[in-house]
Formats: sequence, C-alpha cells, structure tokens
Amino acid sequence: MNHRSAPIEVRESVAFDTAYVHEALGRLRTYPSIQESVILSTCNRVEVVAAALNGVSASEEIKAFLAEQRARKNRPSLDDHVYIHHGPEAVRHLFRVAASLDSMVVGEPQILGQLKEYYNAAQAAGTVGTILHRLFHRSFSVAKRVRNETAIASRAVSVSSVAVELAKRIFDRLEDKTVMLIGAGKMGDLMARHLQRSGVHSLMVTNRTFERAVELAGRIHGSPILFEDFPRYLTLADLVIGCTGSPEILVDAATVDKVLRERKQKAMFLIDIGDRRNFDPAINEIDNVYLYNIDDLKGVAEENLQERSNEAEKAEGIVQEEVHNFTRWIDSLEQVPTITALRQRLEEIRQRELERSLGGSLRDLSEKQRAALEDMTTAMMNKILHAPMSHLKLSSNDEDEKTLYIAALKKLFDLER
Amino acid sequence: MDVTLLKVTAVLYLLASASFIVYIFLVRDFVSSLSPIILFTGFAVHTAALGIHFLQTGYPGVAQFREALSFYAWLLVAGYLLIQLKYRLAILGAIIAPLAFLMTLAAFAFGTGGGELPPGLKTYWLPVHVTLAFLGNAVFALAFGVSLMYLLQENYLKRKKMTSVMKRFPSLEALDKLNYVLLVWGFPLMTLGILTGSMWAGIHWGNYWSWEPRQISSGIAWLFYGVILHGRITAGLRGKKAALLTMVGFAVVIGYFLLGDSIFPSRHGGRFE
Repeated sequence: MNHRSAPIEVRESVAFDTAYVHEALGRLRTYPSIQESVILSTCNRVEVVAAALNGVSASEEIKAFLAEQRARKNRPSLDDHVYIHHGPEAVRHLFRVAASLDSMVVGEPQILGQLKEYYNAAQAAGTVGTILHRLFHRSFSVAKRVRNETAIASRAVSVSSVAVELAKRIFDRLEDKTVMLIGAGKMGDLMARHLQRSGVHSLMVTNRTFERAVELAGRIHGSPILFEDFPRYLTLADLVIGCTGSPEILVDAATVDKVLRERKQKAMFLIDIGDRRNFDPAINEIDNVYLYNIDDLKGVAEENLQERSNEAEKAEGIVQEEVHNFTRWIDSLEQVPTITALRQRLEEIRQRELERSLGGSLRDLSEKQRAALEDMTTAMMNKILHAPMSHLKLSSNDEDEKTLYIAALKKLFDLER
Repeated sequence: MDVTLLKVTAVLYLLASASFIVYIFLVRDFVSSLSPIILFTGFAVHTAALGIHFLQTGYPGVAQFREALSFYAWLLVAGYLLIQLKYRLAILGAIIAPLAFLMTLAAFAFGTGGGELPPGLKTYWLPVHVTLAFLGNAVFALAFGVSLMYLLQENYLKRKKMTSVMKRFPSLEALDKLNYVLLVWGFPLMTLGILTGSMWAGIHWGNYWSWEPRQISSGIAWLFYGVILHGRITAGLRGKKAALLTMVGFAVVIGYFLLGDSIFPSRHGGRFE
C-alpha cells in the first residue's frame, strides 16, 4: 500500500519499524508459499516483495501476514487499501518505487536509500535468494539510470527549494554569503532554514518587534538587528528575504541602487514573500540585482513540475526496458528447470515401468530383446517430448505465451511437488 | 601530410561540436566527458599538423591568413582545454568547438598551397610576436564566450525563466570571476604582443609606431580592455556591463583580424616592400 491507496492511519497500522523488520521477516518465512521476501516500510508506503512459485497463494499469505500485523494493533481488515502485483507488473512496480516515480514528491532521492536499507535488513534476516537479490540490484541500477538519464531528480518544486536553486545560479557558493531575513513569518523562517541547509552560515534577522527577532534569531542561529537599522546592514546582505505583513514598501529601488554602489556591484538576490509587497518591483530593473516574489517562485516551481512530467515519460521508458530484461531473465531461469524436470519425470516413469515389466511378465526376454525394449521406450519418450519442447522454444519471443506453457506443463505433469 | 592532418582535425572539431551540443540539449551525462575527449583528440592531431608544418618549412605556420586562422583555432582550443581542466565548463565547449571547426574549415577556403615566406618575415620576431598577439586574442575569445554565457544566464534570471539548458550553465558569480581571470591573463599578453610588434617594426623599418591600421586597431582594443580592467579593479565594474564591454572589445579585435587587411592594406597583409 502507498500514499495513494491508503490513508496515513492505515499505513501506520501496518508499518514495520526498522528494529522490528528482522523478526517480521522471520514470521513471513514461515508461510509455506513464500520463498524469498523483502519488507519496505516508509512513511509513505508499506510493501512486501516476495518471490514464490505460486503467486496466488503467496499473495493470500502476504495479506494474511499484513492482517496479522494489523491485528496486533487491533484494527479491522484492510483489503480495500492493498494493491497486489504479480510477475512483470510487480517488477515494474518495484522499479518505479526505486526510481522515485511512485513517490508523493516524484524524484525525491530518499526512497532509494530506504529501499537499500530494507533490502539489507532482509539480507541480514536471510530471506533474500537469487531472485530478489537480482531484482533489487536491478532496481538500484534502474534508479541510477533514471537519475542520470533524465532530469527528474533535478527539479525543485517547493518554493523554498526553488529559492535555493535560484540562489545557486546567481552565486557560485552559498557558504560565504550572508542572508538577511526581514520579518518573522513562517515562510521566511522555512526559507532561511533551507538556505542554511544549503550552506549559508551568516544570517541576520530583523523584525518590527525586536523581541521576536531575538527569539527567531535564537532558534535559527542568526544575529538579531534592530528594525530601524536594517537598511544600513543591507550592504552586507547577499540574499534578502522580505516576509512581513507591512502594507508599505520596505525597500525601494533608490535604496538598492545606493546599496549596490557600496557593495561595488556585487550581486544581490531579493526574495519577496510578504503578504503585501515588501520590495519595490522596480528593483528587478537594476543590474546585478534579482528580485523574485512569491508568484515568480511559484511560476518557476510550476515550470519545473511540468518539465518533471516530461522527464517522467522518459523515465517510464527506462523502467519498461528494464522490466523486459528482468522478465527475460526470470523466464530463462524457469524454462530450463521446467524442461529438465519434465524430462526427469518421464524418465522416472519409464524406468519404473520398465523395471516392473522386466521383473514380471517380460522376465524371459533375452539380453538383445531387453536392449531393444530399452531403445523403444526411450525413443517413445523423446517423441512425446519433442512437440512440447519445440513449442516452448518457439514461443520464446512471446512472453505471455511462454509463461502460460510453462505454468501448464508444471500443472499437468505435477512438476511442483 | 600536414594538410591531411588538418582535415582530420576539422572533422574531429566538428564531431566535438556535435557532441557538446547534444550534451546541452539532452541530459546525457556520459556525453559531458566524451566531448572534451573528442576535442582533445582533435587538438592532438592539430598539434601534429602544426608541428610537421614547422619541421618542413622551418617557420611556424602563421604568415599567411589561412595559416594564421588554423594557428588561432589551435590556441583557442588549448585555452579552452585548460579552462575545462579547472572549471569543467562543458557548455563553453559548445561555443569554442564550433568556432574552432569553422576557423579550421575557413583555413581551407583560402587555399592549401604552401607559399614562400617573404624575406622580411624570416626572423625570430615572427613567432614571438605572432604567438603573443594570438594568445592574447585567444584568451579574449574565451572571455567573449564566457561573457555570452553570462548574458544568457542573466537574461533568464531576470525574465524568471528556468530551463534545463540553463542548468548546464555555471552560476553568474562563477562566470563573472572566470571572465575577470581571462581579462587578467589576456591583457598582459596583448600588451606584450603589441610591444614585440612595435619593437620589431622599430628594428626593421626604423620607426616603432607608424600609425598603420593594424597598430591603430590594436591600440584601440588595448585601451578598451585596459579601461575594463581598471574599472573592474577600482570601480566595481562587474556583471552584465563587464560582460557586454568584454564582448564589444572582442568584436573590435576579431573584426580587424578578419576584415581589416582587405579594407586597409598594410604591411600586416603580407605586403612587405
């Protein structure tokens, strides 16, 4: 289940803590159909990835397992919220999750790390075998391909991250830049923190009520300055965030022009996210100054979002390609053992019946006759096998058909005892 | 032999240009390392071509216009590859590689026969003066490219547009710094180019400064760059204005290099009497 299929309360009710995953995997292993398994549990999704020969019974078992998990937390059934994928669809789903195409914020990079973490946990619990090993490693490289070959991960979509992205296009590095935050609003606070995470060290905070400036400065490690003084400090500021509810313009073009001359034309980035305009729009006309208001930032975010969906198409193409490769591998894995098992099965029957007859009614046969009988039965077996074998091989271009044949063979000859 | 190599060079420069352009418009990271490698291969072949020419004739291929073009393209690529080592500016390659290709191609348009060097040029002053002057020019050509990138990036930021292509550009601050570095290198080289030219003229013709068109145009360009450099150091000239002025300065230099001799015949056009 993920953020689309189930509300947060439901997801929480089946979530697995990292500490608890080992034990849960152990429990999952006791279900008869499940051969390999990995559990992934993040704040946006709970997924059980399993390899099994019988997909239908395995998915029933996984549902039972999740229900059991839920029952531990005293909740009713969750059938409505669960999605189940089999075969290539399951592979595609995992690849999309790894490449962050299924995420709430498409392209966010955390999911891959979480996936690796839970994969390692499953490996430690000993529930990963050949198939899931290969599947997860493929999913990691799909994620890498999507990241390298599409621009899906490089598009900022929140207003704060757009501001940081813009700042990085104006300034070479943020480590030696100074930010001035005017006003103690929530948005400004957020943006200042975002800039700090991106490397900004030096931060000035000012507010009409000095106490609030001091309080905010304390929280985000900035230095408070008096509101009356802030124009004098503008010269030091490379980035200025205006975030007040003031009805009048706080900084006009003439002031910026003067500040810029004092700064020897060193570039400035002004971000206006106040309720009303805090900065004079004419400021953007001045060379070496870049003024963005909240609508501009949203506009850029919107463009990024648009571009992201174009890139998403490219990414889906990559996933499709890799799913195809993986399915081919799985089939080759299945085809060979099926053929061997079938041959073995018939050989067993042949041997058994031959022994019985030669020990019973045909006891008196000569050595030569026995050999002839041996040859005849072998030839019969090969003749019988010939048609199904060539069908299997001929159908290797059509994935669905081949899967069907393999399944049929297994069922008809009882190959899965 | 050197002509064949030069043809190979032109093809490689063309390939490198294509590769750089693919890199900008499609997000394909492996191309970003591939393009400089192709360009470097072209550069190596080019070096061989110039080296063979030198060994065969005993003088560097700079006397004729087509030779000068090819030598200039070589310096340009050398300069870019040096910058690429430090700044990883694949996008600048998208400007420089096509330029180098066009110049090598143009070199063919002016014939391929190896002319006899006029006796007045058979002196050590020739390689020294021409190399210095061309080096200065090449550095300014790079500065031109960097300025162009600055103006494009600046324009996008002012118009509040973001595209994937812009993402390939370095920050404005980085471009401005690089522009300054190039100016700081280009200006002394140009100064030395003019000085050696003037000394050569003084020794051979008796007067150091004869107000011939090439000297005048170089003088103007020199003053121009001098003013930009001075402005940058003392008056806080930077950003858009600096980029614009750098581009204008280069237009003067290259304009004369390409057209000057046909409009104002002078001793630089190979008419040595």
